[in-house]
Amino acid sequence: MSALEELVGLTRDLTNPAVQDWKAKKRKIVGHFCSYVPEEMLYAANVLPYRVRAPHCAETTLADVYMSHFNCSFVRSCLQFVYEGKYNFLDGFVFTNSCDHTRRLYDVMRETGVGKPFMHFLSVPHKVSVQSVAYYRDEISKFKENIENSFGVEISEKNLKEAIQVYNETRHLLRRLYELRQEKAPPLTGEESLSILLAGTAIPRDQYNELLKRLLEELSRKKGISDYKARLMIAGGGCDNPDYYGAMEELGGLIVTDSLCFGSRYFWEPVELGDDLLLSLAKAYLSRPSCANMADKVAERSEFVKEMAERSKADGVVFQRMRYCDLWGGQLLHLENRLKEANIPLLALEREYRLDDVGRLRTRVQAFLERIGR
Amino acid sequence: MEKKGDILTAVAGASSLIRDTMASKFGNKHPEWAWTNALLADYFETARQAKESGRPLAWVNFCTIGEIFWAMDIVPLVIDVMTGVVAMALPGGAIKYIDLAEQHIPDHICSNNKTCVGAALAGDLPMPDMIVHQSAPCDSNLATFPVIAECFGSSYFCIDVPYWRNEAGFEYVAGEIKRLISWLEDKTGRKLDMDRLKQVMAYSNLAHEYILKINQLREAIPCPYSSIETISEYAVVLALAGKPELVDYLRRRYELTKGRVERGEGHLSRDQEKIRLAWIYGAPAFDFTIFSWLERQYGAVSVANMNNNFIIRPVEDISDLNKIARGLATKLVEMPMGRECGGPWENYVDAMIDLCRRSKADAAIFAGHVACKHNWAIAKLVKDRIYDELRIPTLIFEMDVYDPRIASSENIKAKFDEFFGAFFE
Repeated sequence: MSALEELVGLTRDLTNPAVQDWKAKKRKIVGHFCSYVPEEMLYAANVLPYRVRAPHCAETTLADVYMSHFNCSFVRSCLQFVYEGKYNFLDGFVFTNSCDHTRRLYDVMRETGVGKPFMHFLSVPHKVSVQSVAYYRDEISKFKENIENSFGVEISEKNLKEAIQVYNETRHLLRRLYELRQEKAPPLTGEESLSILLAGTAIPRDQYNELLKRLLEELSRKKGISDYKARLMIAGGGCDNPDYYGAMEELGGLIVTDSLCFGSRYFWEPVELGDDLLLSLAKAYLSRPSCANMADKVAERSEFVKEMAERSKADGVVFQRMRYCDLWGGQLLHLENRLKEANIPLLALEREYRLDDVGRLRTRVQAFLERIGR
Repeated sequence: MEKKGDILTAVAGASSLIRDTMASKFGNKHPEWAWTNALLADYFETARQAKESGRPLAWVNFCTIGEIFWAMDIVPLVIDVMTGVVAMALPGGAIKYIDLAEQHIPDHICSNNKTCVGAALAGDLPMPDMIVHQSAPCDSNLATFPVIAECFGSSYFCIDVPYWRNEAGFEYVAGEIKRLISWLEDKTGRKLDMDRLKQVMAYSNLAHEYILKINQLREAIPCPYSSIETISEYAVVLALAGKPELVDYLRRRYELTKGRVERGEGHLSRDQEKIRLAWIYGAPAFDFTIFSWLERQYGAVSVANMNNNFIIRPVEDISDLNKIARGLATKLVEMPMGRECGGPWENYVDAMIDLCRRSKADAAIFAGHVACKHNWAIAKLVKDRIYDELRIPTLIFEMDVYDPRIASSENIKAKFDEFFGAFFE
């Protein structure tokens, strides 16, 4: 099996052979919901960090008993999976205040008796400054302490440093992957790229790095894709559904880059190792290309989208966000102005977590492709 | 055709009109009904004249402390107070601004923020010199204020408030307040005068002493406040924090209320007051007459409201900047709605159980502003916990504080009819 097939296959189900093997060895797995969680800390404790998603979630009836229809369908779908027991293989959860929806998951799960013994909440600052980095460093320190106490492990400097190095290697490899996607004939579709990214959220990082190395080797020999109508960039809120990309690419668009937390924003910048590793983590996580929850980074976020689009020679940007995601909804006002100035066409889409409304999506994308297509 | 940039004139005019109407219609029996609008009329006029009088104008949100601004002679326009008056008193309310904003940002963003964005886009609201808000309690604030600042060229400062309300968090916020002061000094070229700040803090402390005493009086049966006063007082406490005018208002209010309670008088008589309601979330700013309708129709007095639930203690030590910043950090974190809606849900449910208990409420009302995703996520949990603890029912319904198209006045009244029919007949 090729590395590409293997990576794409890893995302078909919630668990995969690596997860099963990890559990068989009586090791712990902790789920989290946000790219601001420093996974290195879990990895250093020999705990597998796992990004919680709810692929192919068919209904949210159980979650809707507690959460309202004003809460985004990603959060409700994840809660549904928790209620259905699909996440019973997890030994804990980490939450953040990244948005109003996800932060309330922490409350609802605790109060409705589906919490785990390990339930940690990381307070992520909403701005980037010397003081906020120091605050986040202390939050990460408490996170470390809680992992150590809960799982009876000690996270040594050496282990943490090694974990950061392993994760930095991922970042480096993924950047190389994204460089290949910038080529005139990229070797991957956007759908495949997203699957590759998603695989990394659900398997041990050392195994993932090995797969990525094999993949890069394979891709160096692969003939690129050139029969596309237009090169697209995806931006906006978290999107973890390769089928969503697939629906656009079936129409002739080729997604060549992104600004997403399941994409470039997750890995774009390495963690610079300093004397204080906790500070290194805090600095890196807060300073990387930001989510729309960072109040003082509006212009930088739009600039990052513009730069990524230009670097990848994207013909247009598809900005997507979940319905009820206020944070990315607000950013749109700034982004549309910035991209207009840069003469980069923009298509703004609202979506639900489940890919139901494919017809509407196809109509919008088709019209966009006709407008921008080569 | 309306003149551009005249929204502040309009809200000042509307507040003056309400003040004058109240004074002429009810002045003999209830002079206090004109007081809050008198203060608001002057406040909006001050904001309108800020630039021409050489004072910087700042937009701030409802969880921002006004004291620092007044001490530096910067006029803090609490956006939420302004949009509330737009929705309540201007012809057509906030709808035209909401519609305009929705051409650029999603409809599910808070209509308060949409009103602000729409008014800015329409050119009806002069852009301020600066925009300052705290990061809690909601995404809508985070989603709009920095974007407005970037798009329209205002300076911007976010007072970052952590999720956890612990000592480290309060220290961090105190640091944020000191950084805000330095930032304001830098932006305005005005140096903070410590003597002036201490004077402002003294007024602020006096105001909060009165508020705590009034809170106790408002627990009386029958309730000495009218339902509309219970909610509308919130606006002046927000707008005039640290101002002597607020102290003067609260002193008069306290004396009046104390006398009433001592005489056993209420807004409704003991016989008329049949149901005591605690509004634990939201209120229809577009139609406050619903409160009067509840009183007339059901003898249901709205004795408490989350937004006007100031239980903030005066800052004990105002001898130096560090101590003031630390005290204001506590105040900032404990501002109504910021306190309840930021952080874990216990912050909210515990405060609302306390509010219902103190106000001897027979029912809780969750008037769920549709944009408040954070509280809609826990509405059922809150309802259940309130019932478990206090054995009182909670009415939950969807509405929009500023936009009657989500739930009209008639629609809301029908919800109450059904609720009272089920629980109180």
